Amino acid sequence: MLSDIIQNRYAVTAVILFGIGFTNLMLQQNLLRKVIGFNIMDSAIFMLLASLGYIDGGVAPIVGDRGFDPLYINPIPSGLVLTGIVVSVSITAFSLALIQRIYRRYGTIEMRELLDRAKKEDD
Amino acid sequence: MSKKIDETSGWLQRFAAWVDGDREPPDRTLLVMERRPHRDFRPTEEEFERREKDRLRKFFNWYPIAATVICVVMAAILLTTVMNMPGFGDEDNPINNEVSERYLEHGAEETGSENVVTAMIIGYRGFDTLGESCVLFLAVAAVMILLLRDEKNTTGRELHQLEREEAGAREHADLILQQVAKVLTPFIFLFAIYVLLNGETSPGGGFSGGTILGAGVILFSAAFGVQRTQRFMNRRTYSVVRTFGLMLYAVLYGIYIFIGANGLPNHLAGMILLIDLAVGLVVACTMYGFYALFSRGEI
Repeated sequence: MLSDIIQNRYAVTAVILFGIGFTNLMLQQNLLRKVIGFNIMDSAIFMLLASLGYIDGGVAPIVGDRGFDPLYINPIPSGLVLTGIVVSVSITAFSLALIQRIYRRYGTIEMRELLDRAKKEDD
Repeated sequence: MSKKIDETSGWLQRFAAWVDGDREPPDRTLLVMERRPHRDFRPTEEEFERREKDRLRKFFNWYPIAATVICVVMAAILLTTVMNMPGFGDEDNPINNEVSERYLEHGAEETGSENVVTAMIIGYRGFDTLGESCVLFLAVAAVMILLLRDEKNTTGRELHQLEREEAGAREHADLILQQVAKVLTPFIFLFAIYVLLNGETSPGGGFSGGTILGAGVILFSAAFGVQRTQRFMNRRTYSVVRTFGLMLYAVLYGIYIFIGANGLPNHLAGMILLIDLAVGLVVACTMYGFYALFSRGEI
């Protein structure tokens, strides 16, 4: 068990981070904190993906004339993380812009107050 | 026996009636309407409000518990999965399959880029990266829709406050920030250009270089104010550069595809560089655009 954890330390850390982020996303009442939780989840996934591509003793996948034939790490997860980062940045910016608009309209970003005020305006 | 059949048919009839729903047999319309129970009386306003509030309160009481349970269960499932994952850093992991081998062995000669990651994201998976650039472009467009100031969504008071803030910032200019920015900005730009142009042979490329470029512009803008930034980056230039980057990418990658990406002739090997440059422009504009829109609501 312990050796498993040490063997897969990056994955375990990623899962713990993911759990923290997910709990934040679900339980925080403040919209900004929800976004931060979402970002923590993103980081956890990037970490997991990036660690998956690593090979012990491997070097960065830059193929050049080095005089010998080294072991390269897997380049595919690194490229896929890039996609994830782009999407994460876009989603974060968009949700922050939405939160700013919500604040301008209702004067609060606390979930409960927001619901109350929105309901009051509906009536 | 016959009773059982009766029961079955009654059950069937009831089922048929349930499937048919409210449809009434035409000959017994009157009868059915008479037999139908009265509708519930409509709750009064206060009653309705009270119920609604009660429902909301119940929801808020139960939500944290349910959320915690979901989080714990999910973390437990993920942890058990991780325990059964193949070991970290093992060469024989299923992820190290023939695709990455192919990229590593033939990437350099097929795309003309020594950095296999760049070869992959710009060469082999160029469409994916085109999609990413479009995502960034659209993200800036969406933030613009939400935050851009114009005469319709800005009151005079807000405008006045903004002007006052800017005047205050100009009067009490941050000396340390300005001096540091004066020294650092050229080097940041230089480094950005280095990373942009060396994406083929070293770690870097369009995304990282573009981000550094954007960070340089942001530092300049934060130190020296809007006016001096707008001398070289006003709204018109901004949209021209942004659109130009995306168009350049689309056109270049289209050429890349139509000429035949696999087995490209040598004189087109420099195309990776140009595509990297296009991506860099889009990313830099995105970064600066987010900063400007969030801080001032205009570019």
